[in-house]
Amino acid sequence: MTEDVLQLALYAVERGKVHGFDEVAALVSMTKRTMVKFANNEVTVVQSWIDTETAIYVARRSRIMVINSACRDRECVDRVLRSAIERIDHVDVSEIYAPLPSPTGKPLTGLVDKRIVESPEIVIESVPKLIDTSLREGAEKVAGVLYAGYRRKGLATSSGAELAEEATFIEVYARAFYRENSGHWAWTSTRFDEEKIVDVGRRAASYAKISLPVTTIEPGRYTAILSPLVVGNLMTYLAHAASALMAMIGMSLFTKYGPGTRVGNEMVSIIDEPHDPELPNSTGFDDEGVETRRKYILRKGVFETYLHNTKTARRMGAETTGNAGWLDPHPWNIVVEPGDMSEDEMFREVRRGLFVLNNWYTRYQNMVEGQFSTVTRDTVIYIENGEPRAIVKRLRIAETFPNMLRSVVGVSKTRYDIAWWEVEVPTRAPFMLIENVQFTKPEV
Amino acid sequence: MDLARSLGASYAEARYHANRVSSIVLRNDRVLGAGVELEEGIGVRVIFGNVMSFAATNTLSREGVREAVESAIAKARSLAKSIRRPQNLAEAKVGRARYEVIAKRKFDAMSIEQKIEFMKDVWRHAVSSVREAKLTSFAIEYGEYEEVKEIVSSDGAHVVSYVPRIFMSVNLVLAHPQKGTAQRIVELGACGGLELLEDWKVGERVAEEVKAIENVLLHGVEPPHEPVDVVIGSEVVGLIVHESAGHPMEADRIWGREAAQAGESFVKPEMIGRERIGNEHATVVDDPTIPGSFGFYLYDDEGVPARARYIYFRGLINEPLHSRWTAYIFNTRSNAAARAMNYASEPIPRMANTYLEPGDYRFDELIEDIKLGVYVKSYMEWNIDDIRWGQRYVGLEAYMIRNGELAEPVRNPVLEFTTRTFYSSIVAKSRDLRFYPGICGKGEPMQGVPVWFGGPDVRIAKIRLGVAPR
Repeated sequence: MTEDVLQLALYAVERGKVHGFDEVAALVSMTKRTMVKFANNEVTVVQSWIDTETAIYVARRSRIMVINSACRDRECVDRVLRSAIERIDHVDVSEIYAPLPSPTGKPLTGLVDKRIVESPEIVIESVPKLIDTSLREGAEKVAGVLYAGYRRKGLATSSGAELAEEATFIEVYARAFYRENSGHWAWTSTRFDEEKIVDVGRRAASYAKISLPVTTIEPGRYTAILSPLVVGNLMTYLAHAASALMAMIGMSLFTKYGPGTRVGNEMVSIIDEPHDPELPNSTGFDDEGVETRRKYILRKGVFETYLHNTKTARRMGAETTGNAGWLDPHPWNIVVEPGDMSEDEMFREVRRGLFVLNNWYTRYQNMVEGQFSTVTRDTVIYIENGEPRAIVKRLRIAETFPNMLRSVVGVSKTRYDIAWWEVEVPTRAPFMLIENVQFTKPEV
Repeated sequence: MDLARSLGASYAEARYHANRVSSIVLRNDRVLGAGVELEEGIGVRVIFGNVMSFAATNTLSREGVREAVESAIAKARSLAKSIRRPQNLAEAKVGRARYEVIAKRKFDAMSIEQKIEFMKDVWRHAVSSVREAKLTSFAIEYGEYEEVKEIVSSDGAHVVSYVPRIFMSVNLVLAHPQKGTAQRIVELGACGGLELLEDWKVGERVAEEVKAIENVLLHGVEPPHEPVDVVIGSEVVGLIVHESAGHPMEADRIWGREAAQAGESFVKPEMIGRERIGNEHATVVDDPTIPGSFGFYLYDDEGVPARARYIYFRGLINEPLHSRWTAYIFNTRSNAAARAMNYASEPIPRMANTYLEPGDYRFDELIEDIKLGVYVKSYMEWNIDDIRWGQRYVGLEAYMIRNGELAEPVRNPVLEFTTRTFYSSIVAKSRDLRFYPGICGKGEPMQGVPVWFGGPDVRIAKIRLGVAPR
């Protein structure tokens, strides 16, 4: 099934050399995706896509270009290459040029769930079931998305890579409303599981239905329990910051904190995981054809490695970590290592604090310092002496990543596979218990 | 469109949509790489069995388009039995037109070498402006964008358009051994051609930014702890109106269609045209037709002719941004706010160029009677809650105001207020209307569309400022 994309990639490489490029890599992806969006208990739109994308990397005399196109045939590839050869000599030598590496990647198998490929209608029909379940659990209204699809990719490089792989993915999230409160949950996988989909609606409703009085609290420092949704959001920002290119251009806290630096306490270990068959971005090779591998970004609180392609690696005197992006390295899937606490134990530990179910709109004041704020949404519970006391509305966490990561005092043993609008990289995330988190709220 | 109709769609619309992007990235004065994006395809939207269904393909053969149309119909059919309320579009006077933005200097009027040299010159301006601190990071991205669309619909729209744009982004980090670091991202964007590079005076602009940020880094003081008069610069004002007037007045958000993504709105349908959110200074306009603007268009992606929308009018919650889909739900007419990022995206209500109407003060008149205050000129961090009520802006370039004059710089003053607080607290506005570019994100999958946001410098009543954590 992956032959067609690989053949076009091989053609692009062969023709690229004929056109006069020193090096060529081509990544051809074909995707079929469907998304059902629902709100106010009804489907608002069904979207489906059938796309081919052909990305070509070319180098000539240490000058580099990346062309992203919609080519699905040879004629189009030739046209793109002709246009690139007219331009490339006019671009300066790249500061980060390095030759394409010898291929070491091995495609992964077992990433495809045939039900998503062959019966997308059955997959999308689980949406009404999710909505009904959420309403039965007591939600007054529910909104969300089910997104599922199939992709196959073929990679060829002038250094010898001929690799192809296929995978399926599914991402589901729901937000349930009950009176003044709302709950949210999400799930992601490579496989269709109707029970898991329905459970997203059930769990979102269970948070929305939490029956506590609404109160206001003063801004200040509180112990916080962050749910996997919040941990997933923050870890996505952290993992992107681990890109060596982002560090080089001053758009990362790892511009300031290099490998070997402690940025969190011993309980915090964050892994880039490309090989878990359950996680949707798993792959056996990166865009340069290098074998992907599991690696710690943070191990026991210490920043262990940048995410590298061969270019950033050479520039920094390191080895590639199998995270290309031809220019910008990126994480595949994020796994946060578990701790030994239960959610109940976390609540019991809190003398005066807040449980935060969800967040959005994370923005930096200073990326190099990791100085940011993010807005809480959905259920926020004020906890006193281990007991949930009240619902609090729309606070803001204003912190720095190093402050927060050094103040982690507990990590749950149970983790959840999360992806949604605010968690773009699939993340296996636990609950985290963090002391001294600064919460702010608007001046009225 | 015809195929969808023949398969039973009660409405069909097809949009050919191409985006061509050419970009160059430099770190300091060294090229990192160049990139080209060539994206084109057809997005088809149908109403079938009372279900709205959208499908897109970049296979531009008859077979490819047929597959997309059939996919849209099939998905709609599989959900038709569970639909609770019929979906439809409001009646609209759609256009038949062709328009294009003409670049005074075409993108090929400068060679690639000249463009790279232009970018290096910006770096030289930045480096030569630093005195005591060190410019530890400098990255600049230059992008040329061309957007081509042809829209047809089963109720008669046929609009062809071409819009070229330029967008530049400069990331600056200054560091000092004792004072730490400060970061600024400068963005420039508009529609047009290479004439924009001269108009923007990018080197001079970046040099000024570097000097100002260094001054804040070296000499910035904490903001006063007590409530003070605050003058908010037009850059921050523009962002405030984008976040707290434009977004909460998107009709799909008011209805709840974005509830699980960007959220709902503090605005409820019964508040429109009835409830006040601010005082007589609070008039916010969104106008897609501003010549040269980053969010420029004359017809929206449903073929409806564009016009200015008065979102808030003298403090009144006045006119939401509508597509034909939301107009049907609200029993009104579309005001041409439907935009799609690319062929693969459905049209949804979006802002174009949003601004607070200016006043009649000069800047010095705004501050002349302030004994103790703060002027917040630019920002880095910002966010707002999911009903667009509680918001935060952390100032970057900011100054104390002492006895009617700008004084020493202030480091990281925090404005954190509600929408009503801001629009009710406006005391006076300058006569200067300035615009700033942004790529506004919304929808699922996320759609980033070019917008301008702007306004005058605004003086607000006394407020307590916060301090960002360090």
